[in-house]
Amino acid sequence: MSELQATDGTIPATAPADDFAPPKNLWRQLEPTMLGVGSMVVLLVVWELFPLLVPMKPGTKLFFTTPSQIAGTLWTMFATGSIWRPLGVSATGFAVGLVFAIVVALPLGVVLGRSKSANAMIDPFITAFNATPRLVFLPLLILWFGLGMWSKVVIVFIGALFPLLINTYEGVRNADKVLINVVRSFGAKEWDIARLVVLPNSLPYIVAGLRLAIGRAVLGVVVAEFFGSEDGLGVVMVRASGSYQVDVVFSGLIVFAALSLIMTGLVQLLEIRLSRWRPQHVSEF
Amino acid sequence: MTDETLPRTAQPIEEAVPRQAFIERYRKPLLGVLAVLLFFIAWQAVFLVVPLNTLFLSKPTLIMLGLWDLIVTGELFHDLVVSGQPFVYGFTAAVVVGVTIGIVMGWRARVGYALDPLMTVFYASPLVALAPLVVVFFGVGVSGKAIIIFTLAVFPFIFNAAVGVRAVDRLLINVVRSLGGTEKDLYFKLIVPSVLPYIVAGARIAVGRALVGVLVGEFFAASEGIGYAIAKFGDLFALDKMFACIFVIMVIALILTEGIRWAERAAFPWRVGQ
Repeated sequence: MSELQATDGTIPATAPADDFAPPKNLWRQLEPTMLGVGSMVVLLVVWELFPLLVPMKPGTKLFFTTPSQIAGTLWTMFATGSIWRPLGVSATGFAVGLVFAIVVALPLGVVLGRSKSANAMIDPFITAFNATPRLVFLPLLILWFGLGMWSKVVIVFIGALFPLLINTYEGVRNADKVLINVVRSFGAKEWDIARLVVLPNSLPYIVAGLRLAIGRAVLGVVVAEFFGSEDGLGVVMVRASGSYQVDVVFSGLIVFAALSLIMTGLVQLLEIRLSRWRPQHVSEF
Repeated sequence: MTDETLPRTAQPIEEAVPRQAFIERYRKPLLGVLAVLLFFIAWQAVFLVVPLNTLFLSKPTLIMLGLWDLIVTGELFHDLVVSGQPFVYGFTAAVVVGVTIGIVMGWRARVGYALDPLMTVFYASPLVALAPLVVVFFGVGVSGKAIIIFTLAVFPFIFNAAVGVRAVDRLLINVVRSLGGTEKDLYFKLIVPSVLPYIVAGARIAVGRALVGVLVGEFFAASEGIGYAIAKFGDLFALDKMFACIFVIMVIALILTEGIRWAERAAFPWRVGQ
């Protein structure tokens, strides 16, 4: 399971330090930000002007929207408050599923990290479920739990469970053996080892797992609401796309993306805060 | 499934120890196989005690029969081919486009500055949400599904290729330049080979996302394909065949991800453990 470690798709690179960097002037410092913001502005402007520059058939126009329209729709949704109810429904499913995942993943991860036999027995299941897109279970879950909140909760749960479980396991396994032996020499029980050494040590791993879990949970909410739900922001988006309200679809997408980014960012702050006292190599994980 | 053979390559140290008892040496895979067997036996055995409602659950023997039925009638094979076609198109396009963009982003610092935030935003947003639009616009055929798969699978390639290029040894770059290598030589003799491990690692993540793309496309609107089959058997309450299809997808997903993992270990052994 060691290679199973969940990552967010990239390999952390240790970029070699550039010793020969020229002295920094103002432009050099601002350049990354300017270019980053600039490319986004260019994209938005081109998108906005696209219908004016390129003639489109009326049929194609149905599928097209501009950033200003999306912004307007988003504004109306918030101003009239019509977004809050579906968003609340989605958020409830997200929160319940995530909490369940945390409650199950942490103890299970600690057990797997401490016991080799338990690890060997559960590992095939984890590998199989982690490799399988959880969407595959959705029709089954709808059959079992109906179209309500619970099939959504289970999809969120399955999605969020594995990053948390795998990272907890990794954190526990990487706990300092010397510290464990010291605590044990002083007469600690397995529970004391978990409380005093293992858990504090695996905290940064767990928080990193949480960051990945949030992204997957948001995806789970979207997907579950697309195919098997009666209420929620995802349902609003599907209905809108059925009636060619492309701006509503994009508004929903932006809300989901913004929430996902904000939550991930907050967890990242927590990660930095929690690993401030740690030696560098751990906080870089 | 190659569970029994994989750990041997993963733990060369244990194999180096001679005359270890058979059970001791293969303890982990043995326990794993045992657990899986126990799981299925327990699943089957439960229904000796509890009455089985086939509209709600199924049991392994029935699932095997359902799977056999799907294989014999050729339905399964047909659905897999239908789903496999857009998968191959979308994934190939994702590799080509993603790696190209990623390498340029990593190599040209300014391109990186310009595209990094944009790509991060795209990667973070649940792009699956655009699937209904794609289906409405491009239809339910091969092209619509291939586009969904491409959109989901392209980002791991972009990010991993970019990171891989940034990790290229500066010393080697200088060597190529000092020996009179052109920009083209740099790309093909240095950057591409050293980025390959990163791309393969990206492919492992992209495969999972591409499978999601197949399912999303087919759940929405389709008349054939493995995802459609699962949804259809669910609607028909044919749980044995539904479970059979789910297991087929699980096995395919396992083979793809574990296969890439195996290829990673075989091709780039120096990266194991990173």
